[in-house]
Amino acid sequence: MEEERVLNPDSADKWEVQLRKGSLELAILAALWGGRLYGLEILRHLESGSDLVVAEGTVYPLLTRLRALGLVESEWVESDSGHPRKYYSLTAAGRERALEMGRTWARFAASLNSLVAPLNGAVTKEKP
Amino acid sequence: MTLSDASQKAIDDYLAALRRQLRDLMEEDMNDIVEEIRAHILDKTSADADPAQVEQTLAALGAPRDLAARYCTEEMMRRAEAHRSGTQKARIAGRWTFGILAGLVALVVSAVGYSLGGVLIIIGIAKLMWPRGTGLWEAHYPDGTWSLSFSGGSGNAPPANSHDLLGWWVYPIAFILGPAIIYWTYLLGRWIARKLWPSRKKFNYAASAPQTEI
Repeated sequence: MEEERVLNPDSADKWEVQLRKGSLELAILAALWGGRLYGLEILRHLESGSDLVVAEGTVYPLLTRLRALGLVESEWVESDSGHPRKYYSLTAAGRERALEMGRTWARFAASLNSLVAPLNGAVTKEKP
Repeated sequence: MTLSDASQKAIDDYLAALRRQLRDLMEEDMNDIVEEIRAHILDKTSADADPAQVEQTLAALGAPRDLAARYCTEEMMRRAEAHRSGTQKARIAGRWTFGILAGLVALVVSAVGYSLGGVLIIIGIAKLMWPRGTGLWEAHYPDGTWSLSFSGGSGNAPPANSHDLLGWWVYPIAFILGPAIIYWTYLLGRWIARKLWPSRKKFNYAASAPQTEI
């Protein structure tokens, strides 16, 4: 029973989902670091700059929360495509949060990399 | 961009369903969300997109119920974060202070408005019952002093040395202006109440179950 629980592939999948979800906020703030973007541009930026597979319906609610927290601000801008687009940009608080999260991420990644270093050989061997 | 009728209908149906799922949000927030999702769909959909492509775009967003649930989940997270944030606490305290002060102002305005409207109507009724003794009386006394008083119901004769400034005008004032003041007070009270206590989303925890993808 215990063995089944440990080997359950769902657990690994859920962990990965939670990991991706937890890092999405930082990824979005980082995407906006270079300037304002609208929702679809943010999605494309995330997809092109990483292997993050982001469901489209996830980004917009998250952007709404970040705006409510005062980390990003938004404005509707008329576009050549015939409909307005909602552009997001970082606020001063958002830039501060992005830097803070970036530093935390770097520290965390460095610590974890050293912890998982013994696994690297085994992981490399498993790759086809 | 011009979509086919079928594609346009699919988009409209999706957005209408999303709007229904978000109905408990404040209207401004709901409209903002729906318009942003509309812009996303239009950005992803070419002018000659067939209904299947549109369906694919809508499917990528998830069912309206699931999308609305994600907004609810994010709102819960925001509230949880707000409880931790000193700045947010200060903002909430500020909102409460403003709400209490605005509520007191609303109470005073309502009391004055309803009382004034009620008194005007009562004066109108009194004028019907005691036409000669009810009115806005201006009195001049032999010693040169002057007074202005509203009276009615104490008798059917005017006060000494005085004349009625309103005359029969008291009827439109009592029976048109009085109810109008009461109605305006009601509208003002309702407007203030809506500004102070807008409806909030009642979260459906079951609907916002953990997602399988991000």
